[in-house]
Amino acid sequence: MSAFIRNSLAILVLIVATQAQAIDVVELKQNNSNKVVFKIRFENGSIADPADKKGLTYATASLMTQGGAGGVSYADLQDKMMPWAAFYGAMVDKQVTTFTFQVPVDFVDEFYPLVKNVLLAPDFSEQDFKRVMKAQQNYVDQVVRALSDENYSKFALEDQLFRRGNMQSLKQGTSASVKGISLDDIKTHYRKAFTNNNVTIGIAGNYSDALLGQLKADVAKLPDFEYESVTPSKANTADGIEVEIIAKDGAFGSAIFTGAPLPITRANDEFAALMIANSWMGEHRKSYSRLYQKIRQTRSMNYGDYTYIEWYSAGGSNQLPPSGVPRASNYWSIWIRPVQIASQLKSQYQELADVSIGHAHFALRLALREFDLLIKNGMGEADFEATKTFLRSYTKLYAQSPAQQLGWLMDSRFYGRTDYLAELDSLLKNTTLQQVNAAIRKYWQTENLFVTIVTDASEAQPLADSLINNTPSPMSYSDLVKSGLPAEVLAEDDEVAVYPLNIKKVTIVQSADTFK
Amino acid sequence: MKIFSSTAILTLLLCISASTFAADKILPYPIYQHRLDNGLNVVTVPFDSPGLASFHIVTRVGARNEVEPGVTGFAHFFEHMMFRGTDKYSKEEYSAALKSTGAAANANTTQDRTDYHMTGNSNKLELMFELESDRFLNLNYSEHDFKTEAGAVKGEYTKNFASPYSQIYEKRLETAFTTHTYSHTTMGYFKDIVDMPNQYEYSKKFFDRYYRPEYNTILVVGDVTPEQVNALSEKYFGKWERGSYVSDVPVEPEQNETRYTHLQNGDIPAFLSMSYKGPAFNDSEIDMPALDVLASIVFSSTSDLSKKLVIDEQKVRSISGGAPDSRDPNLFTIQVSMVEKDDMSYVMDEINKAIAKAQTEDVDAALLERTKSHLKYGFAMGIDTPGAIAQSLSHYIQLTGDPESVNRLYAQYDKVTAENLRMVANKYFKPEHLTIATISDDESGAMK
Repeated sequence: MSAFIRNSLAILVLIVATQAQAIDVVELKQNNSNKVVFKIRFENGSIADPADKKGLTYATASLMTQGGAGGVSYADLQDKMMPWAAFYGAMVDKQVTTFTFQVPVDFVDEFYPLVKNVLLAPDFSEQDFKRVMKAQQNYVDQVVRALSDENYSKFALEDQLFRRGNMQSLKQGTSASVKGISLDDIKTHYRKAFTNNNVTIGIAGNYSDALLGQLKADVAKLPDFEYESVTPSKANTADGIEVEIIAKDGAFGSAIFTGAPLPITRANDEFAALMIANSWMGEHRKSYSRLYQKIRQTRSMNYGDYTYIEWYSAGGSNQLPPSGVPRASNYWSIWIRPVQIASQLKSQYQELADVSIGHAHFALRLALREFDLLIKNGMGEADFEATKTFLRSYTKLYAQSPAQQLGWLMDSRFYGRTDYLAELDSLLKNTTLQQVNAAIRKYWQTENLFVTIVTDASEAQPLADSLINNTPSPMSYSDLVKSGLPAEVLAEDDEVAVYPLNIKKVTIVQSADTFK
Repeated sequence: MKIFSSTAILTLLLCISASTFAADKILPYPIYQHRLDNGLNVVTVPFDSPGLASFHIVTRVGARNEVEPGVTGFAHFFEHMMFRGTDKYSKEEYSAALKSTGAAANANTTQDRTDYHMTGNSNKLELMFELESDRFLNLNYSEHDFKTEAGAVKGEYTKNFASPYSQIYEKRLETAFTTHTYSHTTMGYFKDIVDMPNQYEYSKKFFDRYYRPEYNTILVVGDVTPEQVNALSEKYFGKWERGSYVSDVPVEPEQNETRYTHLQNGDIPAFLSMSYKGPAFNDSEIDMPALDVLASIVFSSTSDLSKKLVIDEQKVRSISGGAPDSRDPNLFTIQVSMVEKDDMSYVMDEINKAIAKAQTEDVDAALLERTKSHLKYGFAMGIDTPGAIAQSLSHYIQLTGDPESVNRLYAQYDKVTAENLRMVANKYFKPEHLTIATISDDESGAMK
């Protein structure tokens, strides 16, 4: 057995919360680690953007981490860190901004001045500003619409859910607002929103007490501005089911997201009960959840179908939920990954030459029917026990690396908890089936929802007509699949095809007109 | 069920100390290997992660093996089929059993391999072995399930190919390779994906060929011992019968002129890629390690080229370059996201100048050492969980079948000289071995 393994038995883990000059500190000391992780979190996020400067917090954090600092150019900072394989970056979400710095312990003393300068002495040069803003402008003008239709539908759903509120905008802002951000705006925003009054220090790994002391003293030197906390807007309640179809040229399928307000978060013990129901219905990227089995496994309609009771960042690439995106304003949602459109079905299968719409209407009906059945019937005892047991094991995988552990501990603070993942285990353990079914009935409904569908321009109008008229939408299988489907699936299809949805409004939006 | 303690994960720490590079191996943990009589290799890496283990089966079959016409994408499709049940566990029972492990379980396929993995409670290791053994030895799905799963693959293609970058990647491979199976993506051609439901008989042949001990490696990292893993391997995989199939992957003929491909799309910034024919992975020759070092020096975000084009002149949003590790010769690709498409010729000239410099001038000795340091510390910083270590070793198992390749590769990095860098720059960056792929709103590419 190697010395590393033997030594690891003596690892000291220390989770400490201390107050240093009123600055909250989260510590995770790991004396045998080979790295040090710093996380400096500001409670601001994109909701701290002025109404006419959406994207300003994102621009400020980007310029701090992708520009010069302490009089050293960005290129020279990158050069300096290169042999250490150290790195830093910022993640901006709606309510917080987190700067993460990571360095091998061998170089922490040389690296620390960079941490300090990025936080306290960003150069904010005109040249860096131009580069960073070009990238941000390009994201809101083009990239958000072009790279992934499913992410596009997810962001567009938030746009609907929070319309007219401070949670509405992309954290990168809008095409118009980003154009209006000046370097002076960034300098001012830095002084007002990245202060020693809205900051939390996080540190993990193999650090010395002296280093922590230095970090505390330096973070206290952040702008001493009395930051006024911003209240996040609540999600709107839809009047019936309100659908926005985004018509896009050249889309391969229909990407669907739907959601409605949820008044509870991780701060509420009841959240654990809803988590069990959510896991059973649509655990992220898991083949054994209900929607996945109904839509993908049985009917071959798409790549996957999941449900959420809080924001899940980058679901296409993350298998486990990342930290750094805590939110007090919450909603629940359903993600139906792209399903086939009529033009594709027609071109692929002779027997489907006459279809007028693809699978989006059927998929939406099927998903909402499953929710209605769950609300009506509740979870069964066996499913409840299996899902609870699964979650008590699975949630422990959320925080494995030092950076992940630190991130989850810091998120815990946001929700008024000390160590959410540890507390969650106890909450799950004590949750009863009755509590789960009560939470389902209390928080889930299918009468009032927002739905966003990104689809091909050719599909938009026929789909809109079908939705608003509650037109029957029989599933259009290829003969190859249909011929082998069991009778009970076909019978269920007949029910789904005419399942009434409370759709009151369907709007078609041209892709170019989104996020303006 | 015994659930690993809530503090277990919190005490899971990476255990590479400051003396990481004192030993002669980049991986600071011993790798235990044991080969069963049927040829199955079993790899165990004990790691101090109380209550946690990562269990992989690396099947050395990927898009590379799809040598017959009409079945591109089949290795990936087959990965999907592996979740469709056996005689012992129907697909529903398999799902329930998988859920009961409480693990993060999934699989993915690349050009060279398919990797099935579970990370979870080490007390569930025997259940993981039982489930994996059952499907690897006894997979049995109906023709209807086979046809149905093909729709999920089409759904995966549908969501992936919303991205213009995925579309140009497909075109680039198709243009650069005329004969070798690297000419198609792991997803396969769309026409073949649409036809997948008709390939049931071929799927049985595919399973019979490749889901055999000689194509697979069991890899377990975490709170386990080699004795435990070897015993479970013997118990659950000892009766697995060796096969005899060897796929005859065609050799790509030498390219004799620059090739071009273009995607007309004005929805994203103009894009340029330059792909040169590169080498296969080899942990005993200097070419690939030297190219990795060169890629960092000439094309990374700290390179002179990036500083000029991205930071100073701001004509480029990002630039990167490098060659993937692969079993057969693959492409060294330089990728550029443009600010303005009209600067594309200028940017290509600058790239060519940087290549010419690499071909004729020695790299500064200090920069070479700094780059080697970056590669080594970058590796050390990344292996802080059982899953991360297993993923890294899986990568080298796919390439050579031997996880020790990781240690040999990093030893090779130490040996790279300035002369090696000039050598590989001259050997691989040849215009006649180049494929240029572009995206812009123009009808045709402007780089000819």
